[in-house]
Amino acid sequence: MLKKLVTVLCTLALGVTMFAQGFTGGVKGTVVNRAGRVPIAGASLTLSQNGETIASQKSASDGTFAIDNLDNGMYGLTVEAIGFVTLNVNVTVDGGFVKDLIFVSMVASQVVEDVDDSSFAEFDMDDSGYTDTPTILFGASDPYTNLAGYGFSSIRFKNRGYNSETQDVYLSGVKLNDALSGYSPYSLWSGLNEATRSKETTIGSETADFGVGGVNGQTNILGTPSSVRPGWRFSVLSNSALYRLRLMANYASGELDNGWSYAINVSARLGGNDWVEGVYYRNFSYYLGVEKKIGDIHRISLVTFAAPGQRGAQNASTQEVYDLMGDNMYNSNWGYQNGKVRNSRVRKTFEPVTVLKYTVNPSENLEVNATLLWRTGFNGYTALDWYDAADPRPDYYRNLPSYFYLEDEDYNRVNQDKYDWAYYQWTTRGKAYQNYQHLNWDRLYNVNYNNPDGRSKYALEERRVDQNDVNFAASAKWRQSDLFTLTGGVNARINRTENYKIMNDLLGGQYYLNIDSFAERDFAIDEEKIQNDLDYYLAHGEAQKIYKGDKYGYDYLAQVRKAGGWANATFTSGGLTANIAGTVGYETFWREGLVRKGLFPDNSLGKSEKSQFLTYSGKASIAYVLQGGHRFSANAAYMTEAPTFNQSFVSARTRNTLVSDLCGDDFTTKKTMAFDVNYQLSTSWMQLRATAYWAKIFDQTDVMSFYDDSQNSFTNFAMTGIAERHMGVEIGIKVPLPVQGLSVSGAFAWGDNIYVKNRGKDPHMVQTIDNSAEIVRNEDVPYWVSNPVYKKEFDEEGNVYYYDDADGNYILEGYQKHYVPSSPQIAAELALNYRTNSYWFFEVNAQYFGKSYLDMNPLYRTQYACSGADGILSPAEVEYMAGQESLFTRADGSNPAYTHFLLNCSVGKSWYIQRKYNFGFSLEVKNMTNNTWFKTGGYEQTRLISSVGKDRYYRFDPKYFYMQGVNYMLNLYFRF
Amino acid sequence: MKKILVYSAALLVFASCGLKEEFQPVFTGKYDNPSPYVYYDDSDFGKISTIAEVCAQYEVGNPILLGSKGETIIKGRVSTTDQPGNFYKSFYIQDETGGIEIKAGKNGLYNDYLEGQTVYIDCDGLTLGMYGYKDGSYGGMGMIQLGFNDPSGSYETSYLESPLIIDSHILRGDPTDIKKVTPKVISSASDLPDGKSATQVSSNLVGSLVTIQNITYGKEVFVLLYLDSTKDKKAATNRVFLSSSNNAADPTCGITTWAMSKSKMIEYIKSGVWDACKVGSGSTYPTYEDGSYITVGSLAGEDGTYSGIEKAAYSVTQYFKLGSKDIQIRTSGFSKFCDYEIPEDVLSGAKTINVTGIFTFYQGGVQITVNSLDDFTYSDGTPLYK
Repeated sequence: MLKKLVTVLCTLALGVTMFAQGFTGGVKGTVVNRAGRVPIAGASLTLSQNGETIASQKSASDGTFAIDNLDNGMYGLTVEAIGFVTLNVNVTVDGGFVKDLIFVSMVASQVVEDVDDSSFAEFDMDDSGYTDTPTILFGASDPYTNLAGYGFSSIRFKNRGYNSETQDVYLSGVKLNDALSGYSPYSLWSGLNEATRSKETTIGSETADFGVGGVNGQTNILGTPSSVRPGWRFSVLSNSALYRLRLMANYASGELDNGWSYAINVSARLGGNDWVEGVYYRNFSYYLGVEKKIGDIHRISLVTFAAPGQRGAQNASTQEVYDLMGDNMYNSNWGYQNGKVRNSRVRKTFEPVTVLKYTVNPSENLEVNATLLWRTGFNGYTALDWYDAADPRPDYYRNLPSYFYLEDEDYNRVNQDKYDWAYYQWTTRGKAYQNYQHLNWDRLYNVNYNNPDGRSKYALEERRVDQNDVNFAASAKWRQSDLFTLTGGVNARINRTENYKIMNDLLGGQYYLNIDSFAERDFAIDEEKIQNDLDYYLAHGEAQKIYKGDKYGYDYLAQVRKAGGWANATFTSGGLTANIAGTVGYETFWREGLVRKGLFPDNSLGKSEKSQFLTYSGKASIAYVLQGGHRFSANAAYMTEAPTFNQSFVSARTRNTLVSDLCGDDFTTKKTMAFDVNYQLSTSWMQLRATAYWAKIFDQTDVMSFYDDSQNSFTNFAMTGIAERHMGVEIGIKVPLPVQGLSVSGAFAWGDNIYVKNRGKDPHMVQTIDNSAEIVRNEDVPYWVSNPVYKKEFDEEGNVYYYDDADGNYILEGYQKHYVPSSPQIAAELALNYRTNSYWFFEVNAQYFGKSYLDMNPLYRTQYACSGADGILSPAEVEYMAGQESLFTRADGSNPAYTHFLLNCSVGKSWYIQRKYNFGFSLEVKNMTNNTWFKTGGYEQTRLISSVGKDRYYRFDPKYFYMQGVNYMLNLYFRF
Repeated sequence: MKKILVYSAALLVFASCGLKEEFQPVFTGKYDNPSPYVYYDDSDFGKISTIAEVCAQYEVGNPILLGSKGETIIKGRVSTTDQPGNFYKSFYIQDETGGIEIKAGKNGLYNDYLEGQTVYIDCDGLTLGMYGYKDGSYGGMGMIQLGFNDPSGSYETSYLESPLIIDSHILRGDPTDIKKVTPKVISSASDLPDGKSATQVSSNLVGSLVTIQNITYGKEVFVLLYLDSTKDKKAATNRVFLSSSNNAADPTCGITTWAMSKSKMIEYIKSGVWDACKVGSGSTYPTYEDGSYITVGSLAGEDGTYSGIEKAAYSVTQYFKLGSKDIQIRTSGFSKFCDYEIPEDVLSGAKTINVTGIFTFYQGGVQITVNSLDDFTYSDGTPLYK
């Protein structure tokens, strides 16, 4: 194949200016890394004409180059540098001028990054209102992210402790973070690795050409057909941690002489894995794109893609269940139906995205992009639903031995015989007991058979979140002079998302009834109050019967409108670059109920009040490049963001009540203030980056719904005034070793990412009863940010004694701070890499992780949970209830300061056949020491156990997710 | 080229073997409906004992672990349903010698054990015990129940609860052979067994489904309220009796429903009808420092929300008379019909009713627990509720 022009990578960067420079023409410029404009020293430049090499040169230590003494004519310039995609540029020299290419921007090549967001366990937060999506760092030509982005992904490392929604993910210039949750939208294109491979990224608070961004990096997936690597590519991948098989085929034309480009990418991901039973993929994906370059000025592309399919999800359980099953990867979501494995939690999605993009370069100094993007389709997630029947989940707490007997008598669980039965039920293997250890589908069907009128008591619901998301983004880049560049843009978004349930499977019954079983507990006699669809009941005189495929339960629209603009000005003078950027935005959203709920007849149907927010942000940065590839930079950012729709309604399923209705002005925009300083060294020999960051995020809001034992009710919990402080350092380095082909790279991250007071105040919560909207608690959450630690002593038997002073008060020794959870605060990796001239490569890497903490449930940090039913707070109670659990412990739960080591290796080889065909494989074996005690995350339950003396509460055990043990990924590919 | 093929073959073999034992793959096609449960019949068992025979092993005050004398199987038809919520976590079975409560200990039992279905109980390992016995001249028999042992000492038996215990001991008969139990008719006070001595052993009415005819409203209730259910429920300072002894002026305490849901309870208390009732337990009534009794009214608070009393659903005992004998109709506050009003003509005594339910003794008194609202009719047979 001929190497095609990778135009998209350089049109943006190639302003073409001419200077009179004597009689003979030439070409000059500076080779820079597109991400961060760091000069690349030692890049080799080859100028050719009609296949003949005219001149070759290496870029200087500041990245500059100049080739002169050239005749008029067309030349091809090839730029190559280690770690970057080879760049081909056409250069026309005429009139004897030296053509100044200004910046020749190179995009980092991506080493091994078939990272797939589906590699992460489904976080099912047990309806507590917590949800999470994976956080992946992006591949970039940055020694830290190159290593950490892939290497830390299997343990769900959160970059600088930030949540996934802090990463701005763009597609073709449109910011695509979910309109309702802010989550990054990777699942829309999972499996389309080839089509989405070309991307531009920034890290931290840096701005980019496509947007101003936040504090946790930005990435723009180019997504246009001309950006897809040309040629045919086929691969077969088998992965023992994810899915058995991935098949992928890709063809891209590159830009043809007539200006057209085509690309097609299809893939299938199929099967289960070696570690989590019941998890499976049956996912397909496609990408179709066409692009036309019209003249030298216009470029228009149309792309459509989707990743339809289904996959079975994993669930977290308590350590007790894992121990009983002898398996930390036990998954309670599945069971046998007629001897066949069936998963109750299946994601079923088909969300096609269509993108129309237009680019115009009306003059050499101006480029304008406009993109229209439409996302539609459905997103379903099945779950068991039941009415007036026993909880079907095998690991329901009443099915466990600990429910019957605990050694600590204060729990009042004293029945050893029942414990023995339950223990036997969980630990005896074989067919007779598997229905106790896994979901018993056969029983669910039999219960439904037994209902004489065919009413299902158990059913499989499918929760739908069906988005219609229309986005428009336009941006312009104007290079006024060598000194000044201005980029800016406008964007608008209309999102209409319908949230509802449909009946997926009646499990052998004939119909289900559209009533609210929770409401029935409190209002049994009131037929109207228990209706999910009151208007149906009033019209027909009876509750609606639900058949397969019918909507039921709840049905409402989330309506979101956003509009904004941004600008970014860059001043460059010599090695100094200064940059200021800002955004303004307007966002409004409202709920629109589509059914009248019996509990809230006046506050469920129709539109809620509209929440409106004005947001803005500002960034400033300065960078200085020294000779020799040194770059110093500093960034500062301040931004305000509207709360997301999902954080703004107290109980969106049932009513129009906004958090602001309960919390007033505490419900406000989230503010982020961030600073970082960086040093980068980029030479052909070594790459280094060191960053120190500090950020404060405040005025955050969260809502959740859970059963509160102290209220004997299902409650809604709205918390405002959550603040975090993130601080730490990141270091990445890559250096060759004296042996040819051998290099070592390292990444190190240390953070102190904690919860802090919000302008000196603790978070505030308002708790309401879900059935009545009655406010039952309205108070601060005093132990969210930290918990007090009192002076104490242990005797030889392990009993604890707390000191008190002369007045009988306990002696406060200090406060234990609480960390931003579910990600190690310390992470390091050291990799040894060896490549041979015969296309073999080997890598061994060792990883170290420390200090990771469990996600906290705010209920346990309230005064009443810590005080117990008697309302008297003791040191032992508050340290137990409010303390934050360390995720890293020994297998027996001891040593909260425990740290983890992991060892991984990979090997690969490429063969070229007749110089045209390329065949190769890569094999990676992860977690070679088979560490099965690595908790990647988890969450606290919300239930409370009252002690015998009713003087204190105990927690329910938390639920954990573990990392898979030793696993492999094998990829075979064929390209031409 | 040959080398490449060898390499790839080797790699594929390696990959397909995996590093761990292969799971059964998840089936993603259309699932077949599972076949109905296999069920038991008499031929699956040797000797089947009667409920009376098993109950005969019980002596008052001494719960007994069954099975030490060999396997004991009893058989009966399910006479109750927990669907309307008046039975909770347990059901009754009945044979010709009487009925007995099986303390299964989970919700929605009617889904698994249909009303009228035959059920076999393997008593081996279960505990026979009594609930509701009180000695002394005001006391009497309670009910012999089948449950599990209770080392906490709170009761003589506990619920089976654990799924494997339930499934090992409660064995279903043919689910297509459904014959609802026919209630035994009691029409005069002389038909009633003696609450001082009768149990399932001596009377086939005890624990059975009965219809008591022509009973008259007794204008008296009994309800036990708590000030805070998270605290000691037995402390006198945490209890209020709504009863004739605590409210002689109006022994009905204004309660005109079969029981009360939480919302109904709030309605009652806010109406002030219980204001005169004192906090206390039996004959112990705590006082304020000035010596005055702590009454419900004194806990109303300035805002009238009675925040000092636990707002919850409460069970109610409504007293009726069969001749001179009290018939207590006890209904759970969690039953779906708890807030139904007793009709005016019944409350006034103008009309008598028939009630169908499980005949039980509580401290020697006759207590009837109904399955549903259909169990109430006027004495002429017309239903109380349409």
